[in-house]
Amino acid sequence: MNNTTPSPMSAIATSSSGRATGKSMSFALELQSMMFSLGDARRPLHETAVLVEDIVHTQLINLLQQAAEVSQLRGARVISAEDLLFLMRKDKKKLKRLLKYMFFRDYKSKIVKGIEEDDLLEDKFSSSSNVNKRQKIAQDFLHSIDQTGELLAMFEDDEIDDIKQERMERAERQTRMMDAAQYAEFCESRQLSFSKKASKFRDWLDCSSMEIKPNVIAMEILAYLAYETVAQLVDLALLVRQDMAPKAGDPFSHAISATFIQYHTSTESTAACGIEAQSDAIQPSHIREAIRRYGHKIGPVSPFTSAYRGNGMTFLAC
Amino acid sequence: YDSYLHTSSNRETFASPLEPSKEPSTDFSSVDLSFLPDELNQDNTEQPLTEGKQGVEGNHEIQGDPSRIQSLNEKDSGGIYTDNFSLSNSGLNPLSDGNSTLPSPENSSPGFFPLTSMTPLMPVTPVSEVFYRVYYSMNIVSTVNLACKLDLKKIALQAKNAEYNPKRFAAVIMRIREPRTTALIFSSGKMVCTGAKSEELSRLAARKFARVVQKLGFPARFLDFKIQNMVGSCDMRFPIRLESLALTHQQFSSYEPELFPGLIYRMVKPRIVLLIFVSGKVVLTGAKERSEIYEAFENIYPILKGFKKA
Repeated sequence: MNNTTPSPMSAIATSSSGRATGKSMSFALELQSMMFSLGDARRPLHETAVLVEDIVHTQLINLLQQAAEVSQLRGARVISAEDLLFLMRKDKKKLKRLLKYMFFRDYKSKIVKGIEEDDLLEDKFSSSSNVNKRQKIAQDFLHSIDQTGELLAMFEDDEIDDIKQERMERAERQTRMMDAAQYAEFCESRQLSFSKKASKFRDWLDCSSMEIKPNVIAMEILAYLAYETVAQLVDLALLVRQDMAPKAGDPFSHAISATFIQYHTSTESTAACGIEAQSDAIQPSHIREAIRRYGHKIGPVSPFTSAYRGNGMTFLAC
Repeated sequence: YDSYLHTSSNRETFASPLEPSKEPSTDFSSVDLSFLPDELNQDNTEQPLTEGKQGVEGNHEIQGDPSRIQSLNEKDSGGIYTDNFSLSNSGLNPLSDGNSTLPSPENSSPGFFPLTSMTPLMPVTPVSEVFYRVYYSMNIVSTVNLACKLDLKKIALQAKNAEYNPKRFAAVIMRIREPRTTALIFSSGKMVCTGAKSEELSRLAARKFARVVQKLGFPARFLDFKIQNMVGSCDMRFPIRLESLALTHQQFSSYEPELFPGLIYRMVKPRIVLLIFVSGKVVLTGAKERSEIYEAFENIYPILKGFKKA
């Protein structure tokens, strides 16, 4: 998990050590809530939350550093939305999701402004070019880097986001069985996000040692990417857990990888071939297995792909 | 039943519908409603508001007929209310005269008429009336052209309740207390008026602002008054499963609870945006006319009922 490749940024050493020497703040509680809203059990395990926090933190720090490098390349003074969009250019689906999120943010502030009278006046105070600010930034930037027309085609593209669809269906299944009180709790958990705890998030990321810092919109996007990472982890972990459940008549049950069984037997006392885990919650082993699979170099061309992999870090969010 | 009858007579004497009607509900609790099936009770809390005038008259009927109340308690099915109500409806006339003066209860509480029930014998209340009585508030934004160039500094200095900060914003912000509204007045003569609770009040407020400007010596006129946006809100009074709604009505809904606790529903016809919350509260915005809000509500009501959280 740790990035061992030397990087021009000296910050990396300080950030890892900062992480190791007991951070005063921890998102473990919030993460437990978030994982519940994303499909985990009613009370996710604390160990799992700590592990997820670790992973998300590492990934974000690395992402931030790569963004800072990009920012330096174009000679800017702050890390802005453009740099993060640039990093995400490879994965169209995730980029599209990010864009949808940004547009939704614009749209929501537009509507809420129309309703709240005070906000209406505030809006008049600030320049009206605030409307659709994020959308404009995104569109302008993608226009500038797009050489094959693929990225701009994304704006017109109305394809359904499969992963988002799956998450919605999972949420729907989860909530169907709940009664009113549980559902209220679920809704509150869903509303939790890193952007809600912006100042804590900022401190947690600890950008003070970096030369180039992110601006406001970049922080919004980072909060969103953190949430996406957690969501991806939960998606993958649930998939892993589903795989682990022995299915009668599964033709590949004999072909399960060794590492898989090792995780399975070492973390759970029950027999590998037998009973399912006691609790419904996602175990740290699921998460680790999910990360392993996601970063696994499968296929003939894998050693030669992606600069990210060269760094030893595959980002879940982009 | 003495206390019950007593409060009924109280109700006859009050003039304003805004008198807190909490008392009747607590008194009704003394009436034994335990044999009623649960849904009927809930329906009773919703429906009675729709009965409106009919309910008022019906209640007075019950007051005049203590024997009927006793029979209410003795019989064992919820259906008894049907009979009672239809009876009281047919015998409406004697006591109905005093009731026609009662203004429609805009803010009546749900506990006001728990004994009324929804029956096939009674005309089904149109959904827009349910909206009107469940919870109703509006915010209207309108614009008008005063058709003359204005000296904002002069207005700010001479008018009361006016603020002007040219460095921040190029308009005077003026407020009046009756109706409670705020206006943004620009030097071009255009004015935006917000905060009124109805179209007529918005127009009235805009006229008042125009008169203020006139009194300050400007030849203000009142051209092109136009309602730009109307916002309505209402309460379904049942929790709603937003996840399911977002899934089934994907092409219209956007639900990102991390960003905003409500589901944003973009209705195509009429072109209204609805903000739907888990609690059952719904905000409707983007309308230029009141009928659009009612129409949107009538469209969404059956849909939301289908996603009621049991």
